[in-house]
Amino acid sequence: MNVYFRSKYIHFIVISITVLFVALLYFFYDARSPNSLLPHCPFHWLTKLYCPGCGTQRALSSLLHGHVKQAVGYNCLAVFSLPFLIYAAIIFTLNVFRKKQIKLQIFYTNWFPKVLLVVVLLFWVLRNIPSYPFNMLAPS
Amino acid sequence: MEQSFQQQPLVQPKNWLVESILVTLFCCLPFGIAGIVFASQVNSKFTAGDYAGAAQASKDAGKWTKIGFWIGLGVLIIYIIAIFAFGATAFWAARKDIQYR
Repeated sequence: MNVYFRSKYIHFIVISITVLFVALLYFFYDARSPNSLLPHCPFHWLTKLYCPGCGTQRALSSLLHGHVKQAVGYNCLAVFSLPFLIYAAIIFTLNVFRKKQIKLQIFYTNWFPKVLLVVVLLFWVLRNIPSYPFNMLAPS
Repeated sequence: MEQSFQQQPLVQPKNWLVESILVTLFCCLPFGIAGIVFASQVNSKFTAGDYAGAAQASKDAGKWTKIGFWIGLGVLIIYIIAIFAFGATAFWAARKDIQYR
């Protein structure tokens, strides 16, 4: 029991430090600058196509500087999944510090993962179509 | 974690959905998408009463998410090493006044 709780705290501390480090990195080291040394997507490098995650780093930098509209332009999937991720982070934090464990309700419904899968796959295909309504989904 | 599953077999196993979303967004996508597929199986099999199937799907979801995470981290580390090697070479060349082109 004791070991389990201790590993939970270590988990929490490691994740918090990582998140803080990533936030500071993307705030002070702007991923939007064209000659940034941050890693590029290996899928985009190999195929010249966009993956569902392409633009997340630039979106992160613009979000941290308060440019929400620009962030949506870089990767709208990342921006719209942010509320869910924040919700998950809050529940995770509560579970670390309280004895009563809460389940992430929507994540355990039958429909949510299926809808998410369809959204991710559609987003992946649509953002690679190089014509007007769809090219708004490509990172820009 | 595994002990608590054995004591209470009716607790829905962890579905790794949040981790899969993170892996999908921060590159190494096929693994993140595999994670989402298995996460959906965890939920639907559990509601259908297939507890063993749900536990197996949970294991698979965890496996693919972890594979995606470690490959992503590996790519990142190789990238950083490459950047440093490139930078060091450029620095050395500049100091020695060597021009490669």
